[in-house]
Amino acid sequence: MNSFRVFGILRLGLCGVLVAALSGCAAYPRLINSPVDPGGRGLNSLAADLSPSISGRYIIFVSEREQRQDIYLYDRQSQRTIALPGLNALDTIAETPSVSSDGRYIVFAGNRQGRSGIFIYDRETRQLRNLTENLNATVRNPTLSANGSTVAFEANLNGQWDILVYNRDGQPLDLPTPVR
Amino acid sequence: MALSVAISFGLGGLSGCVGRGPQPPAALDSYYRDQQPALSGDGRLLAFVSGRDGTQSILLYNLQRQQFINLPNLNRDDAIAESPSLSYSGRYIVYLASDRGRPEIELYDRITRRTQVLSSGYRGWIRQPKISPDGRYIVFQTGRRGQWDIEILDRGPNVELDRRQ
Repeated sequence: MNSFRVFGILRLGLCGVLVAALSGCAAYPRLINSPVDPGGRGLNSLAADLSPSISGRYIIFVSEREQRQDIYLYDRQSQRTIALPGLNALDTIAETPSVSSDGRYIVFAGNRQGRSGIFIYDRETRQLRNLTENLNATVRNPTLSANGSTVAFEANLNGQWDILVYNRDGQPLDLPTPVR
Repeated sequence: MALSVAISFGLGGLSGCVGRGPQPPAALDSYYRDQQPALSGDGRLLAFVSGRDGTQSILLYNLQRQQFINLPNLNRDDAIAESPSLSYSGRYIVYLASDRGRPEIELYDRITRRTQVLSSGYRGWIRQPKISPDGRYIVFQTGRRGQWDIEILDRGPNVELDRRQ
């Protein structure tokens, strides 16, 4: 009698677990809690955090947490930001970053002294390079492929926005152009 | 495999109109605005927003074959779509679409050719959704707390991942 009751309670408990598990499944897609970290090492801060892009374990984004518009790299595994020495400069506004899925290359649009550029940062060498140094055009909205091979961005070349595609070394891909 | 199927679908659709034989290369840019580029994780495909032909549509271009790929059922006559992003092989396209005046995050699967709204019921202004290369996560910018914050959306452990990586 007693063991029956225990079994019944167990069964009820099991059902409850099952229901919880099932309704857990049914709740996708769902948001992952990313609370504000007042210490400034988290994904969200007390200031504006914007333009996120996700690749592998990394999320790259723009934040005003240090009273400037800078780029931050967040590691989902350690759940904190990773330092990017030499990337953020005091006189540059950084926008629309993206990162390769191995976390090595970061591409972003930078604006310095009235000139725009598409920059690539190598976390291994800590080198920053302007891929559009010799391009006489306003550029914006870059994107880097997750394998780190290819960069695409908008350029104002002919009085309207066009898309240019470069390899990581800054060589334009040879693509057909529209007929005049 | 998935990619080649989708590409042959796309090319099949195109070559069906013209007949057999390889297509001449198509120019990526036009004399209209071409904006918001997004690369597939393998760097082979480029999605972007184009104003050509007087409409605003999301287009998909194969950088190696230099051809456009058809996206049946993605662009609608009654909605504006923008801000595309691609998974590793380009199987999934996530973008922002106006739906009854509200921006929604939508996911297009190039295998099933279906779209799915991912943000239904979400309260807050949504901008710039980006899908992870494996296709499971989407990050976006939200105005829900009265300032710009970052939100991560999980499609769950049971979705078919874009495994070509």
